[in-house]
Amino acid sequence: MATETDAATRSGTGMSLSDRVDAWLDEDMSVRRAIAVYAVLGVFMSFLLVPVIYMVLVTFTGREFLYSSQLIPALSDLTIENYEQVLSRGAFQSYFVNSVVIASSTTALTLTVGTFAGYSLSRFDYPGHDSLLVAFLGTQMLPYVLILIPFFLLMFTLNLINTHIGIVIAHSVIATPLATWLLKGYFDDIPESLDEAAKMDGCSQLDILVRVILPLSIPGIAVAGFYTFTVSWNDFLLVSVLSQTSATRTLPLGLQLFQSQNQVAWHLVLTAAAVTMAPVILLFALVQKWVVEGLGSGGMKGV
Amino acid sequence: MATETGRSRVGRYGEEFRELFSETWLGYALILPATILLAAIIVYPTLRGIQLAFFEASLLNPNQQTFVGLEHFGTMLSDSVFRTALWQTVLLTSVAVTIQYFLGLSLAVVLKEKVPGISFFRSISMVSWVLPIIVMVILFRFLVQVGFGPVNVIFGQLGLPTKYWFGDPDMAFPMIVLMHVWRNVPFYAIALMASMNSIPETQYEAAQLDGAGPLQRFRHVTLPQISYVSMIMIVLHVIFTFNNFDIVYLSTGGGPLGNTEVLATYVYKTAFETYALGYAASMGVVMLVIMLVFTTVYVKLEDTG
Repeated sequence: MATETDAATRSGTGMSLSDRVDAWLDEDMSVRRAIAVYAVLGVFMSFLLVPVIYMVLVTFTGREFLYSSQLIPALSDLTIENYEQVLSRGAFQSYFVNSVVIASSTTALTLTVGTFAGYSLSRFDYPGHDSLLVAFLGTQMLPYVLILIPFFLLMFTLNLINTHIGIVIAHSVIATPLATWLLKGYFDDIPESLDEAAKMDGCSQLDILVRVILPLSIPGIAVAGFYTFTVSWNDFLLVSVLSQTSATRTLPLGLQLFQSQNQVAWHLVLTAAAVTMAPVILLFALVQKWVVEGLGSGGMKGV
Repeated sequence: MATETGRSRVGRYGEEFRELFSETWLGYALILPATILLAAIIVYPTLRGIQLAFFEASLLNPNQQTFVGLEHFGTMLSDSVFRTALWQTVLLTSVAVTIQYFLGLSLAVVLKEKVPGISFFRSISMVSWVLPIIVMVILFRFLVQVGFGPVNVIFGQLGLPTKYWFGDPDMAFPMIVLMHVWRNVPFYAIALMASMNSIPETQYEAAQLDGAGPLQRFRHVTLPQISYVSMIMIVLHVIFTFNNFDIVYLSTGGGPLGNTEVLATYVYKTAFETYALGYAASMGVVMLVIMLVFTTVYVKLEDTG
């Protein structure tokens, strides 16, 4: 095999294209390789990130710049006027508060039920164990628009339309299956010998969960919490049906109304959008390391 | 002596049995809250939704329901909006997921390289995935505004035609595909990268000793070992794209001229804007059946292949 390759390399003819590419890549060229990696990364980042960065940049310029055909603002164009205008609007403030209340409550509720369920699936064996897990994940396949119709009627019967609690329950249900699965994955990674040791010391099952499992799964809880918060914060569909007045309106719904009412006020719409994404971006910055790792280890393991 | 051991053995079995019994109950008790939530808020409405598909009901008076059998499913066959929406949903899903997979795979290949600063790139590449969909839609609508949207400004300077692409019957659909791709490529990339990183280095070394070059190693070592994660990613995103409502609803509302209408937006409008709950539910059932068949067949094929 080796002699064949050598011969082919020397003659340079009779090689297939893939062999030739292989021969080129096989040479130890770490600098060239790194440059190639950065070049590809540059292409991807300009596609994925530059639009977002540019949007944020534009929110710090005045109206005149935005509506001009200039692309790069001068230093004198920079101002925080847009933010002053958007943040001082009463409606925007109340949507922001609604979003914070709903997303935090959803995260608390989902993490509680998800931790119990994940612990149960990770450490207990009982009839129906596997089918419960499959059923949990299977709910992710259902079209929400189908669920929404009877769901709306159900919430109507329960008098939960246009209430914070109704939206929190709806968001929790959407987030619970994957949050449970993520947590189960992290719990599975904790050796059961630790459980046994704690049991020897007289810990009950619930003690083990609180004193052994939870402290060791902080990254998992952070990732599941971040996922849940984002699901709730970003949701438009459920809120659009469950929220009927501005008392329960969250930012995505408010933003949608804002962009249709203010067709021309792009400087304010973009600024409101930037404020809306700020909390999830900040939270992501806090947990990004665990999210990137978690998608690899805890999350992507087999069911 | 013998009786004593016997008794203690019985006692020990009894205790073990009791422990096992209580553990089973504790296991059930712990999973109960989540199960109740899911059963009440997802499973029950789904079953009611399936039932509703065989009834005529209006959102204005939802308690008055008349049984109509399979009538809605017959109506669908002659409903040209439904047929267009079905075709566009299938097209959107297959095109978007294909592009996502190949771009995600390419990004994964570079993200797994251990060049300086790579962990920073891994993190920031995920920003488009965590943004609220409404923010993404506003961003894309801004980019293609005529006169001041940066994409059109650049196009104008290059002498290319400028247009509000979301309002153009030929370009609106590609714009929807583009947003689906933009949003989800990072998720594929990170998941595939993690899967690639878990392949033992020795397998690459062994392949190299056998004379396999980088491309051959990618084909014969990497690809087979990431097939499980690839399958999960593809199934997840087919389901997500097929069922997705907000990207279309918020950016084009299904227009222009119905050119971006998908099943999710058509079902939503039928239920909440024209109040035809029964007909909307029957189309939702069709969506459910298509996804069930797809997932079952795909997972089976993947298992046997």
